[in-house]
Amino acid sequence: MRPAADGYVIDLQNVTKIYRRRVHALQGVSMQVRRGEIFGLLGPNGAGKSTLVKIMVTVVRPTSARGMILGHPIGHKPTLARVGYLPENHRFPKYLTGRQVIEFFSALANMNRPTRQRRASELLDLVGMTEWANTKISQYSKGMLQRVGLAQALGANPDLIILDEPTDGVDPGGRRDIRQVLLRLREQGATVFINSHLLSELESVCDRVAILVGGKVARQGSVDEMTIAKQCYCLELESPAWPAVAGALAGVFDPTAAPVPGRPVRGSLADKTWCEFDGAILRVGKTDPASVQPIIDALRKANLVIRAMQLVRPSLEDLFFEAVTDPTTGRTTPPGARPPPLPRNA
Amino acid sequence: MSQTIALILDAYRDLNSRKMFWIVLILSTMVAASFAALRLTPDGFKIFFWHLHSTVLNSRNISPGDFYKTIFLSYGINFWLTWLATVLALISTASLFPDFLAGGAIDLYLSKPISRLRLFITKYLCGLLFVALQIGCFCGASFLVIGWCGGAWEPGIFLAIPIVVLFYSYLFCFCVLIGVWTRSTVAAVLLTLLFWVFIFGVHTTEVTLLTFKLTEEDRAANLDRQMHSTQAMLTHYQQVAATRPTTRGSEYVTMYQTQFDKERSERDEIHGGFDRPQAIFYDVKTVLPKTTETVALLERELISKAGLQHVSQVNQENEDDSQNSNVELNNRPVPMAKIRAEIRSRSVGWVVGTSVGFEVVVLGLAAWIFCRRDY
Repeated sequence: MRPAADGYVIDLQNVTKIYRRRVHALQGVSMQVRRGEIFGLLGPNGAGKSTLVKIMVTVVRPTSARGMILGHPIGHKPTLARVGYLPENHRFPKYLTGRQVIEFFSALANMNRPTRQRRASELLDLVGMTEWANTKISQYSKGMLQRVGLAQALGANPDLIILDEPTDGVDPGGRRDIRQVLLRLREQGATVFINSHLLSELESVCDRVAILVGGKVARQGSVDEMTIAKQCYCLELESPAWPAVAGALAGVFDPTAAPVPGRPVRGSLADKTWCEFDGAILRVGKTDPASVQPIIDALRKANLVIRAMQLVRPSLEDLFFEAVTDPTTGRTTPPGARPPPLPRNA
Repeated sequence: MSQTIALILDAYRDLNSRKMFWIVLILSTMVAASFAALRLTPDGFKIFFWHLHSTVLNSRNISPGDFYKTIFLSYGINFWLTWLATVLALISTASLFPDFLAGGAIDLYLSKPISRLRLFITKYLCGLLFVALQIGCFCGASFLVIGWCGGAWEPGIFLAIPIVVLFYSYLFCFCVLIGVWTRSTVAAVLLTLLFWVFIFGVHTTEVTLLTFKLTEEDRAANLDRQMHSTQAMLTHYQQVAATRPTTRGSEYVTMYQTQFDKERSERDEIHGGFDRPQAIFYDVKTVLPKTTETVALLERELISKAGLQHVSQVNQENEDDSQNSNVELNNRPVPMAKIRAEIRSRSVGWVVGTSVGFEVVVLGLAAWIFCRRDY
């Protein structure tokens, strides 16, 4: 594999896409994907994930974009010979068999006939479709189509594999198989870019993720980095009444706003550590057990019973919801792309 | 190169999977084979086992070879290939681009290292491959029928392949434009058929106006000749009446004067009122594809290549004789030979060149939409 500049296989800078001068699908997205990693792209519906993926594979033309894919500018057609792509809701020609699908799209990627024939057999075996290789795909189930689709994306032995919802419609066994294929590809040095809604799937295979919200990157980094940064101690209280807790923590916990029923009370400790009370749970943004002791003392002094205490690492789902939730209203981002910004005098 | 071969192979598989492709292919072969059901006899002709007596269509008047070639031209090309088979081909190929552009399908192609323009052109040419195969089968079957039944092995009939494909490409380019623009097969078929009716209408109107124009010109020329002759007679009898008053010269003078006045008033009524409308329709027609004339080129070429000049000449003379005596416009004979000569005087360059020009513009527009669009 030819090394890309700075070791990045994908290096996007300020990618913007405005549809029909009205819909701002992407608003200056910058993203880097390193060689040999599995990168996950998350986001609510209409966040611009598919648009971003389509820009990378030249299906959509960006309004403005700088950046490189495999060391070449975005839109460089010959580079696509080294990129495998599985679109969401793909529609392969129904008159082809599974083997013909893989061979046909490998031929379009400029692979010679003997190589693509050999490769098709290998890939059909890899995705467990050898028995169905010569059956027309019109007779395939959704899961079988996904398996052949994945094999098609790997047909030309690409350096970068871009998968849009690869496990859509696949049963748990198939998902596990696909996960194993992805991990094997990473071992072989390929870079995998996955766009998916299945957060648990991504969490189990991705090295790094980016969360796209409203056409902008809300979070980006390794799963470990992001989750460790959000680790906290959770204290489960026996009597979850806020006035009692507020009384106990007076002078220790400083709420940022007046409490609103049904919403967590957020604030900070004296040393600016974040703290949150949500019903029966008090979360403290500290990972050192000694630093939580003054809070426990304060609660105990007020005779509040602590039922449990544990260090909790948030899941990718928690991070996702945090990213897509408006902190002021507590509501998740509505689906769809962002409307254009209103003029100043409007 | 492997990309182009892969796309062509894919187009073949696509066609192969379409029922309509096989239906049209079987129908084409059946139409050609049906020619073999006709046989000339010395006193008429046979359809399968039915013998029909005819004083015109019999083996004494026309050779079997010429008989089959004429049937191929009149029904095979002018009726089957340019009308029914074309409509069926349009229905079959109209979905080619809308299916190709469907979400989830086009992404797979565009994400490959192949330019959009090359994809578009290859796909367009693959659509024409459908028609070429159909016509090829029809011509092949006709070639065998004419050879076996008529004893004339005529390779000239294969000229129908490029000319009918060219004719079809005029309609297909429009179908592709609508398909790319709307991504709807139904819209592509309906609007292309409408467009075909429109260009046929423009053609018919132009030919009708040309008929009126040439009939009028013919009438004017006849009146000029008559007036010249009447004037001569009038002058003659005026001299006779002046020199010999006792004769009936003055009566003739009055008669010829009346005739001359009538002819002059008729002549004055002819203002060339059809010249401008005909010129306008001719100009409109110039920028449109000329389907009828393109197929007529095939007829013209086939008549010369297949040695049917004598049959064609006899037919035309018969037609001209009968039409000159029967066809009238406002009680005036229509100069059919002149109209035919005027239409035939339009060069191949004008017929094909302007039609191909239209095709290039329409395809260019479709390619531009295809290449610029986000999918």
